[in-house]
Amino acid sequence: MTAPHDPNDDDILAAEYVLRLLDTAGHRQFEARLRDEPALRDLVHEWEARLAAIAASEVEEVAPPSTVKLAVFSAVAPETRETSSRRSWFTGLIGVAAAAAIAFVAIGPLLRDQVDLSPKFQTELASADGELVLVAGVIPAIHEIVIERVAGQAPEGRVLELWLIAEGSDAPISLGLLQTTGETRIRVADDIAPSVRSGTIAISEEPPGGSPTGMPTGQVLATGTFVDI
Amino acid sequence: MTTPAEIEKMIAQTALRDQSAFSALYDATSGKLFGVCLRVLNNRGEAEEVLQEVYIRIWHKADNYAVTGHSPMTWLITVARNLAIDRLRTRKAPTRDIETVFDLADEGPGPEAAAIASSQRTQLNACLDELEPERADAVKQAYLAGETYKDLAARHAVPLNTMRTWLRRSLLKLKECLTR
Repeated sequence: MTAPHDPNDDDILAAEYVLRLLDTAGHRQFEARLRDEPALRDLVHEWEARLAAIAASEVEEVAPPSTVKLAVFSAVAPETRETSSRRSWFTGLIGVAAAAAIAFVAIGPLLRDQVDLSPKFQTELASADGELVLVAGVIPAIHEIVIERVAGQAPEGRVLELWLIAEGSDAPISLGLLQTTGETRIRVADDIAPSVRSGTIAISEEPPGGSPTGMPTGQVLATGTFVDI
Repeated sequence: MTTPAEIEKMIAQTALRDQSAFSALYDATSGKLFGVCLRVLNNRGEAEEVLQEVYIRIWHKADNYAVTGHSPMTWLITVARNLAIDRLRTRKAPTRDIETVFDLADEGPGPEAAAIASSQRTQLNACLDELEPERADAVKQAYLAGETYKDLAARHAVPLNTMRTWLRRSLLKLKECLTR
């Protein structure tokens, strides 16, 4: 069908593939060949290594904002929890969690007469230096998060703001500001509530009145994911 | 300064779902990878979004690392650069005006790049130096800024096919020099 390939042609094609210089059709054809031809994969890896050296020597390091790390870790955290607990009681837990989630979303509001006001999920939020320690509990029946202060407070002239990063999402949602003393109760909007159990919550320090941008602007002091009580 | 062996170990532990190793890997390498994303996309917001995708990809694909036979930084840079180029290519039809083209041209091998080259004479830099300056620049812009044949032809004011021939020859020369 086609003439036998000149080895040099494949080498150039591999380089052009790595540089993303092929047109859409050429790119697809090349990827189809890559699946079956290990020698072609080797050529691609060789070009990747040669050309990455350009970035290694020419690109300056630029510190990314801390929100990127927060979003990355919120995206990978649920999987970590699942893996670490799989061997023991995870199978049982997922049943309970699923049932709780269904109750939370579907039948919770219907049982208003006999609402269970006890927290069902909990997490500890502790800063890396251990200065600030908070415990957050969720009362699914009324979509409320209760944050109790164990130790520490916001830095001078700053306030603490609570965030939710839903599983699979990359943008934190502000849940509200913490009271300066004692316990804080935050009611979570109904459309967000189902993502609390599987999401990550975080505490950042912000200017008085909270983040002006809708995204954390200060340092993220602590993060946590909920476990069933 | 983190050594390649340390980064390699962090990647191996990340493949085992060790979140603290992944955190250390992020801290050690995100500056470089953010630099790569910024260089390709030339837009901070997009570079932040892509950097996030990059580390999520690294988390999920860390066990693929060994298959490529790459050094750890090569693998990380390749992941970052590929995702950044994918984002660049999905942008709507390029709306570059003349000013932008000049801006990009200004980012060519200026005094700063020359200083880096002289301070750390890597084999690659030596080989790029063997090419005519504008051809070496075309290779760098294709890799670092994700320029297409069309972009490069416009910037160097040569026909598309001429640029194609230039770049292909330059790549083969580069390979020949590096494997010498």
